[in-house]
Amino acid sequence: MRLVVGETARSGEAVDATDLTVAPAALARAAAGEAVDGVCLDCPEPGPLHDRVGVVREGADPPLRGALAAAARSLGERAPERARLERVRARLADEEQPDLGLAAARRRAAAAGEEEVRLRERVATLRGRVDALEDAGATEARREAETALAETTRRLTEAETERIAAEQRLDGLERRARELRDRREERLALEDRAANLARAARAHLAETVYDRFRAAVAALPGDGDAGAAPGDYEGDPTLAALAVVRVAAPEAPVVVATDRLGGAARTADRLDAPVVRVAPDAEGR
Amino acid sequence: MLLVVTYSRAARATLRNVCSAHETTVVRRFGRAALLRETEFGAFLACRLREKHGTDVQVEQTTPLNEYETVPDRVRHAAAAYEDRESASTPYTAFANGRDHPDPAAMRDEEL
Repeated sequence: MRLVVGETARSGEAVDATDLTVAPAALARAAAGEAVDGVCLDCPEPGPLHDRVGVVREGADPPLRGALAAAARSLGERAPERARLERVRARLADEEQPDLGLAAARRRAAAAGEEEVRLRERVATLRGRVDALEDAGATEARREAETALAETTRRLTEAETERIAAEQRLDGLERRARELRDRREERLALEDRAANLARAARAHLAETVYDRFRAAVAALPGDGDAGAAPGDYEGDPTLAALAVVRVAAPEAPVVVATDRLGGAARTADRLDAPVVRVAPDAEGR
Repeated sequence: MLLVVTYSRAARATLRNVCSAHETTVVRRFGRAALLRETEFGAFLACRLREKHGTDVQVEQTTPLNEYETVPDRVRHAAAAYEDRESASTPYTAFANGRDHPDPAAMRDEEL
């Protein structure tokens, strides 16, 4: 790998960045190929392992089973659930999700209804005024009121037509949405199936490297007990994360923000992985 | 009440969080669905779900069914008579046949 921070360039499988102003997360982003101001890290593409333990710092507690599964994958282990999981995921990707515009249809139906109510009240008011003016014998004013009444009645008829059309459109869309929900229901079942398979695959993969993980925990400094099976680990979470890295075979560098294994070279050696060492309290870009 | 039904894992997870955070507004929870109190706050929660997950969230406004008001007598009587039948294994279609009860197909086509 080759790391450039500002004017400083360093390369090798163990890069010391403890004297540079660069935050661990910025290094991880740069490794993933994201543009980070003033930081360039040229290295192989990070894998699933890096999502879990791409940055190791004191106190961080990544979910161990997922990290172990990623470590197993980096070693070329494959879960028996893999083919089924891929099929389920392919079926999920096939499903399109049409947008019916239901929200807009609801809004239109509500607005049309309000307009109708408003005009209906206006017609009643005008009718009352026409009657009152007739009783009072005010012919001219009554004629004006009658004209307004006729105009408002016409608009009311239009508003009724519009409201009915909007309601029918909404009814139609809701029927269609109900049909689509049958498909969504199947989709949800598929999503659950994919999640169950992924969980089973993770459990299987974690199991395959657990003996190696236990040995790594014993070989590294810190207090932790791996127990018999994934899920049994008790103790220092940083030790667990470091042990996962030691088990795995990552191609892209792991950012190590703890000095418990020593400097860059010593850390890379003990983890048997490419490493960028940063200061525990590193901040910056 | 407001019936909220979710149709994706993400929407279901949000509903679950909403329900745990606002227990007093939740009347009943059923896995990926819930009945919310018909208050402004219940509507607020339903609108939030709709806003976030679109058509993956179905919201219905429910009312209790008063069968003496909404359901025709012949339907209600048929239900009562069928539940009072002598042989538990008789299907409704056979039971209605020959008696003066509505047939299922006709009931299916008739909106309440």
